[in-house]
Amino acid sequence: MAAKQRTGPGVGGAWRRLRRLTQWISLGVFVLLVLALPSAWPAWLRQLPMQLDPLTSLAQAIASHQVVSGALVGLGVLALGLIFGRGWCGWVCPLGTLLDGLTPRRRPVKRKAPRAHRQAGDDPRWPPDSWRKIKYLLLLAVLAAALVGSTLLLVLDPLTILLRGLGSGLLPLFDALARGLETRLYQVPALRQAVTALDQALRPALLPVDPLAARAPWLMAAVLASVTLLNLVAPRFWCRYLCPLGALLGVLARFALVQRRVNEACKSCGLCARACPTGAIQEQRGYASDPAECTLCLDCQPACPRQAIGFQGYDLRQSLLRQEYDPNRREALLVLGGSLAGAWLVGQPWAAGATSQALQPPGGAQNHLVDKCIRCGACVRACPTGALQPAMLEAGLEGLWSPVLIPRLGYCDYGCNTCGSVCPVEAIPRLELADKRRQVIGVAVIDRQRCLAWSGQSPCIICEEMCPAPTKAISLESTPVKAPGGESVILQTPIVHPRRCIGCGICEYKCPVEGAAAIRVYPAGVTFHGAGAGEGSHGERRRRGQP
Amino acid sequence: MQAITRRDFLRTLALGAGALALPAGLAGCQADGTATLPPTQAQAASWQTAAASAAPSRTPQPSPEAETSSPSTATSAPAPHLAVARNGEPQEMVRRAIAALGGIAQFVPQNSTVIIKPNICTGYHSYEYAATTNPWVVAALVSLCLEAGARKVQVMDHPFGGPPAQAYVTSGIAEQVHSAGGEMVEMARFKFLSTPIPAGRSLRQAEIYDEILTADVLINVPIAKHHSLARLTLGMKNLMGVIQDRSAIHQDLGQRLADLSSLVRPALTVVDAVRMLMANGPTGGSLDDVVQANTVIASADIVAADSLAATLFGLQPEDLSYVRAGVEMGLGRSDLAALRIEEIDLGG
Repeated sequence: MAAKQRTGPGVGGAWRRLRRLTQWISLGVFVLLVLALPSAWPAWLRQLPMQLDPLTSLAQAIASHQVVSGALVGLGVLALGLIFGRGWCGWVCPLGTLLDGLTPRRRPVKRKAPRAHRQAGDDPRWPPDSWRKIKYLLLLAVLAAALVGSTLLLVLDPLTILLRGLGSGLLPLFDALARGLETRLYQVPALRQAVTALDQALRPALLPVDPLAARAPWLMAAVLASVTLLNLVAPRFWCRYLCPLGALLGVLARFALVQRRVNEACKSCGLCARACPTGAIQEQRGYASDPAECTLCLDCQPACPRQAIGFQGYDLRQSLLRQEYDPNRREALLVLGGSLAGAWLVGQPWAAGATSQALQPPGGAQNHLVDKCIRCGACVRACPTGALQPAMLEAGLEGLWSPVLIPRLGYCDYGCNTCGSVCPVEAIPRLELADKRRQVIGVAVIDRQRCLAWSGQSPCIICEEMCPAPTKAISLESTPVKAPGGESVILQTPIVHPRRCIGCGICEYKCPVEGAAAIRVYPAGVTFHGAGAGEGSHGERRRRGQP
Repeated sequence: MQAITRRDFLRTLALGAGALALPAGLAGCQADGTATLPPTQAQAASWQTAAASAAPSRTPQPSPEAETSSPSTATSAPAPHLAVARNGEPQEMVRRAIAALGGIAQFVPQNSTVIIKPNICTGYHSYEYAATTNPWVVAALVSLCLEAGARKVQVMDHPFGGPPAQAYVTSGIAEQVHSAGGEMVEMARFKFLSTPIPAGRSLRQAEIYDEILTADVLINVPIAKHHSLARLTLGMKNLMGVIQDRSAIHQDLGQRLADLSSLVRPALTVVDAVRMLMANGPTGGSLDDVVQANTVIASADIVAADSLAATLFGLQPEDLSYVRAGVEMGLGRSDLAALRIEEIDLGG
């Protein structure tokens, strides 16, 4: 167990610099992924960052009973956990990098410091080590839910938290802020040139030209913000106590080939414990560390004045060592049962009550999207019109934060198939553009009470004009209608032909009626019952009378 | 790292807030100034020149003459009102038609800034589907303007379906414009400014793209195609792309399009009828609806251009509500029989 030569502070410093480099590259890639235009990167490159995530890959494979090609990357990373343990957390995880970056720099460790206490605090120690079990219990809950087919709990995955927080939270907020400023400043003639120059710098490189529709940017940003703010309680609070992905790798870390070891040179000065960002170094065990907590960040190595710390060697005794904060059997069973019951309950009709109202991305409904979606929000970010948004309760509890199409915020662009191409786990099928154009998302239904033309309020043909179907799914008929004054007028009135309608929602998006549109897209299954229903909703068929 | 004091922080905050509030206040003053009085030519002019205090240094496009008198497009010179080129390559047809009108220099002064406004309504289909203006027609105009010594030639539209960048590429227009030396510009939302339309009868105010009004020269390049409400979308209908709230214009469409045309005055309208969309417009998507007419119409008179284009569809100018309203407002002429029309046949 003798330490090799690379345990010297200088060498450790080089490794640490390398670690910082990979960390920042990783975070940079994620930030660029959010900022880049959907068309700027090839599809595989856009998918790759999320595919690296071992937890989403594993849970998704369990839940959907299939291993999509993209999941192989994550499962490969998982296998690496048997070599490097939680090295992912210290070296790659972009959320971990963000948390490191936001941690106030620890005071430099003084060589002659008095017998130091653990980093996390003096006695009484807070937060208590027993909190570390929370992450294992969350992991158990995620995997148990996946076992019964629910990927809902992947909302807790660190990479999805980061991607949603950036893409559906901070970016739209920043966009709204910049747009508001530009709009105001542009009102001043003297500033127009400057604003134009600013805008050309910002768009389309960093922000979209058209406003980025977002339904709950504060919520998504708040989730990310809470995770980072917990850093004020303890460095890497999230990683220590909560992260289910860290827990997954932590389980493997016990058997990992690369582990932190302390040799006989150690004089128990405690400087390493002070330096450890995750508080993994345990005084009572001779300053050995729990491999499930150690992120291999190497911060302890240069802190050690005696070169007593090395990183190698599998040790079975350590692997089987139980930590006092490991969940006990009762806790594990409780969480397991709770998760299974919860997953079953949210799948029940009362919890899924509104599911039938949700429009899903093209091909999503047919592909059982809700069961496969890892909630990363890549499609939401990529959707050029803002039509795709994280579901709140439209898709039922089990569909929380999976993508739904909200036509009042945006429409499915007839010339776009980006969402399927950016989905890292093929929850949205990868459709050729020609196929996507035939993919039925829903069907439009006109509310004649509110339609400007049908109610006689004014001529309006916008839904027909906007319909992108080559043979329009909305046609116009000259119809005598009662104007508000009571007189009869002849207006062009729109009629939907459901067999041609793909439910792209541009009619609903552009409908000029205030509030809810007078033409709305419903999931195709709702308005038609059985194969023989033919054209038109009940109302439409009744009105026509004749073929 | 140096800590800032609370006082410094508050001071910075106050300065920032002040800076934010300032433009709003200024804008408010400006808006008040125009809102209290009935809009006049002079006000529209001062609005257009954009500098709040400066007197209008450059004559705005709607000249009083155009407002009040009958059509004034052709001067005493024998140049035709309309030029129609047929059966040639798109670029050649454009060049010949404009040459027949007296040459591009008539419309594009040296060193001027030019905006070309084609119809790029969606990013769904390539130009073959005739929902968007022919790329070579647009490119020919870009080249002509540059040859005439234009300082800057920008091409832009405000698509309603799909992002502008996608529409520019899918239509094929971006590629041709770039190779001709022009610039594709995505229209920023904040540049649509609330603008009074002094001569407007039904539409008296609209959010109009600022640079369309401030450019030295505007060239309007519609594609001739079917539209269910307007019957056809041609030159006047193509101007809808320069306003933000299109649904506002759908009611009383003919009059409102004419109102818009009274303020947004293209120096030149070139109707692309190389390929015409006969049904399922304005979006199209089926080649069965496309007819190859191989025709380009050019005129300084937007109403006359639209009137002649209507006949390509077997319609009379009066069948188009906006042509009727345009004539009524004195924006141009639709009496084709009385207009000098130069026909150029490049076929055979």
